[in-house]
Amino acid sequence: MPALVTSRTPAFQGLERALIRRRLMQLDPRLRVELGLLALLTAAVLFWQVRVPLDGLARSRGPFAAIGVVAVAWLILAALGSVLAGGYHARRLRAGPHGPEWLSLPLESSRLERHLAWESCSRLPWLAVPALGVLAAAIGLVPAWWLALLAAAFVGLLRVAGGLGCAVGYRVVLAATEPRARLHPIERVLAVAAPRVARRRVSGARWRSAPPWVALLAKDLLVTFRVAAMRRTAAVPIAFGVASLLAWQLPGEPAFRHFVAFALSLLAAAGLAEWLIVLAGSDPFAALRVLPVGVMTVWGARAIWAVVGALGLVATQAIAARGLSAHALQLFLAWSGAATVAIGVLGINYGVTLFPRVDVASRMLGLSLVLAMVASIMLPLSGWIILLTAVLHSARRLPRWAWLEET
Amino acid sequence: MLHIAHLTRRYGAIAALEDASLDVAPGEIVGLLGANGAGKSTLLRTAAGLQPPDAGTVTIDGVDLWSSPIEAKRRLGYAAEEPSFYEELSADEYLAFIATVRGLDAAAARARAAALVDALGLTGRTTEPVHQFSHGMRKKLSFVAAVLHRPPVLLCDEALEGFDAGGALAAKGELRALASSGIAVLFSSHVTETIERLCDRAVLLHQGRVVRVLERAAWGAPPSGPSPLEREFLVVAGSTP
Repeated sequence: MPALVTSRTPAFQGLERALIRRRLMQLDPRLRVELGLLALLTAAVLFWQVRVPLDGLARSRGPFAAIGVVAVAWLILAALGSVLAGGYHARRLRAGPHGPEWLSLPLESSRLERHLAWESCSRLPWLAVPALGVLAAAIGLVPAWWLALLAAAFVGLLRVAGGLGCAVGYRVVLAATEPRARLHPIERVLAVAAPRVARRRVSGARWRSAPPWVALLAKDLLVTFRVAAMRRTAAVPIAFGVASLLAWQLPGEPAFRHFVAFALSLLAAAGLAEWLIVLAGSDPFAALRVLPVGVMTVWGARAIWAVVGALGLVATQAIAARGLSAHALQLFLAWSGAATVAIGVLGINYGVTLFPRVDVASRMLGLSLVLAMVASIMLPLSGWIILLTAVLHSARRLPRWAWLEET
Repeated sequence: MLHIAHLTRRYGAIAALEDASLDVAPGEIVGLLGANGAGKSTLLRTAAGLQPPDAGTVTIDGVDLWSSPIEAKRRLGYAAEEPSFYEELSADEYLAFIATVRGLDAAAARARAAALVDALGLTGRTTEPVHQFSHGMRKKLSFVAAVLHRPPVLLCDEALEGFDAGGALAAKGELRALASSGIAVLFSSHVTETIERLCDRAVLLHQGRVVRVLERAAWGAPPSGPSPLEREFLVVAGSTP
């Protein structure tokens, strides 16, 4: 009989090292450099935003006040990491984690629990990016040994916070799992993960003769209505869009309402782009690529959604923002409409060209939008340059759509 | 009808296909036989336009696959070894989507899909989301989607693997009917018996190379129709042998 794989065996350590290596190798070298640069820029922006206020604080209230701010910032990051890891862990346990049929392997349950939690915490190192920005901003303002101590504490804290989040996520899933005698809790959770739903039927299909892009549009709509996660993603831009309309009813200065409405409309555009990324990720590789459709048909069908979203936003804003002067209204509508189309197209480009890595596409979108926003704050209109550059840059890989293999 | 010339495809240092060439004439069913890892799926995926070759050409009904991919794919049907679908769509919705994208007449496509679904034993299950389907049912759906438009060239990658006996007999009947109407079929399998019963010619693939081509006469004519065991199965399943 084979020996039980215990916590002392190096099998999981080897697996975890291989997974990290494999995930890095999955990103092509250019994308790795781009991600590194974006991380560097994000850290630099944080440095730029934090350095001056921190310097003022250190001068007025002493270095310990600055140390306190750094510690609080890192505590917030660790708390965020805990929430993210916990939520991700709970989702994975409910859906059934990736990997082999874990319950069929002779594993020590506690080791399996640790490995699954490790997997859920594997994204937490990304939080080191903003933490490094804050760290760089504090260099020279507080004693170096304090910073080293705090940095070491942050690394430990992030691990503890991730573990804590996973533990909470695990308990939440476990609480919703039917108790079974003689089964270890993790076995109970995995045994009922992704339970088979009762046989379900849907209404009959609509057979129609139409151009391929119409079929793609109809299919996108059907998939969105059918899949709960997709429905939630689609609800986000609608919610932000409605909020941006309601912003015109806020009390206060017109300029404040204008600012809030515009900011919320940009969030609606980002939500729309995220939905378009998820839609692209839902396309089965082989199913679509053996059909007589090219990337322009697929891209075009998705671009129609971006245009529909922009038109919907502009039309409703034109009614809600009636109080603005004609010139200001035209400018607002042109700005928010163009931004929605550009952000939507950026989402489509990332979704299509980074298929099937929806997570990487979402991260690239988020980083690009943060950069564009920061650039706009630094230098008016420069955000547009960043955004349009990102759109053009991301479009370069579109011609390879037909043979972007699942990796 | 299908012309594959000097196809080479490498995965890093591993040559999955090495200078592979073969032709399938109209009305011919050619079997692609080889061990696991011989390069059958790579050849079919490359011929279906799912991955570019490192060298070589694929011509489908006179159209070069890589210079006119959309035109070539109009003339192509592909039943994958591991088919992928929009899992939340029903089989009916998926087939309607395929028919629209292929520009088929809606009423005719619907009638053909219903006939194929009935022949393969999927009747009554087509309004269920595909994620509820078993492996065999998924393979059957993939087969229906591949032959729905009666393509001039049909590529089948282990297409009958996972079919029950009744479904397999019906699918073989459909393949023979398609071939007799002039369609070129390239059918891969590692089960020699399937190739023996179905194909007019067999191409043997080994380590990515075409090592031998055999005409049907080389292996003789196996008995037509279901075997005694298949007959028993069909009786139990309530189908007519």
